[in-house]
Amino acid sequence: MYRRYRRAVQIALFAAMFLIPILNLYEIYQVTGTFYAINIGGLGVADPVVIFQAVFAAARLTVPLISAALFPVFLALIFGRIWCGWMCPYHLLADCAAWVRARVLRKNSAAPRSVGSFGANVSRFAFLVMGTVAAGAIGIPVLNYFSAPGILSTEAMIFVKERSASVELVFIALLLGLELSVLPRFWCRMFCPTGAFLSLFRAPFTLRVKNDVRNPKSQCCQENHCSLACPMKLHPYRECGDLLCTNCGLCVDACRSGRLKYTGYGSL
Amino acid sequence: MNEGIWGCIQRILSRGENPFIDNHAENRLRPPGAVEEKQFMALCIRCNRCLEVCPYGAIKRSGFSPTMGTPYVLPELKACYLCMACSRLCPTGALDSHVQTPEKAGMGKARIDKSMCYSHLFLDHDVLPEGSGNKIAALCNTCFNVCPLQDKAITLRDNLFPEVLDGCVGCGICVERCPTRPRRAINIVPTGMGRVDEAGFFFRKARRHYESASEKETSGKVFKGDLLLEKKSRIHGPKEQPEFEFPYKTPKTIEGWD
Repeated sequence: MYRRYRRAVQIALFAAMFLIPILNLYEIYQVTGTFYAINIGGLGVADPVVIFQAVFAAARLTVPLISAALFPVFLALIFGRIWCGWMCPYHLLADCAAWVRARVLRKNSAAPRSVGSFGANVSRFAFLVMGTVAAGAIGIPVLNYFSAPGILSTEAMIFVKERSASVELVFIALLLGLELSVLPRFWCRMFCPTGAFLSLFRAPFTLRVKNDVRNPKSQCCQENHCSLACPMKLHPYRECGDLLCTNCGLCVDACRSGRLKYTGYGSL
Repeated sequence: MNEGIWGCIQRILSRGENPFIDNHAENRLRPPGAVEEKQFMALCIRCNRCLEVCPYGAIKRSGFSPTMGTPYVLPELKACYLCMACSRLCPTGALDSHVQTPEKAGMGKARIDKSMCYSHLFLDHDVLPEGSGNKIAALCNTCFNVCPLQDKAITLRDNLFPEVLDGCVGCGICVERCPTRPRRAINIVPTGMGRVDEAGFFFRKARRHYESASEKETSGKVFKGDLLLEKKSRIHGPKEQPEFEFPYKTPKTIEGWD
């Protein structure tokens, strides 16, 4: 059941990417901005990793900078990485790429586990740290060049407003091409700085998937539906609290015996 | 929307919308209220909200370069009309949100190239210097007429030729409207652009302009400066009235009238 809601939310946010600039063309300014930084009825929200870098690069801390990053951090503390699993426009495209890879190109997307969850975590945190250090060193928020949701949203805005495109679209095409051909889901798992930064905010009450059996390390069933369903290529029955988990809920749907459940404040 | 993807590509490739346009732009300014260039590059998160909110479409995205994605005003394409909507919106303070009035926009300062401006050419030469022998009959003054901060930013010295004052904020409307081609006779030297290579073609050439402007002109054939100005002013206000002959005698009587 989460699967359908999740897809609806993803598609709605993907449409909002185009809808916000269209509304702005008609002078409706309740929501302005892109997924780098958006303003919803006076509430300023910005990508926290972008703010983090700007603080490093400019070496100064101002109230608007901090307050813009507060809301996403608060959201991540309550609902976990719900941005990645449920809202990010690039994640939707990556889902599509995985679908094309499995159904059209007939490649087995579940089998190759070239990089495990530990390696993927190390890789993306290293990328985040390197990017932030570079931002501090050269005084330019360099990770913004690699923020896939921000780039997509900006391109959508430019397309609506000027009916043009810019060179960053090549980067997105490159990522999708690599996901289709070589490494499925490699960007979200191994590099995305926004996802890495959001997964740092974690508290005991944060929403997460929990395996409801006495010995969660052992395999619950032989079919392993949850591992096949997981877009992040985790084994949810034993790695359900991993930093890579985006709380997409696909494993909860897939589990036939109902052992995987959401826990935390966000689980209602 | 109606022109489709092919039209889109054509626009990108053909007229001024290529992704590298800003690298070669002669005038390249940051939007109003921008902080000093190094700080700007650090603070700007390329969210493009300034670009989105600009009602004139004046703010462009920088193309493939280290400044990729940051906003620029290219006044030759479209100047900033100083509505000050963008500086209010910037989420990180790269555009200073305290800058709310057009007088404080501080984007740059206009500079008139006297070898190209029609009004200055009219002052310095009677015929065009290119050798065609065409007389200059243009007192254009377009830059003065379009300036939103008239008499604070630009004035007409002796009602003859435009002169930029300290109040100029560098919005670039004069650059957009200047009739000379291919280069404009009036250009903006941006403020706050610390490094010369970041500040567009004109700024790189600015030093040479300053040097050539400070040189004394030595040719004694033509009138220069105030003397010439005084001579040309006479066109408007003749001091001695010429004798006027009126070779027609009014008849005392009209035929048929009694």
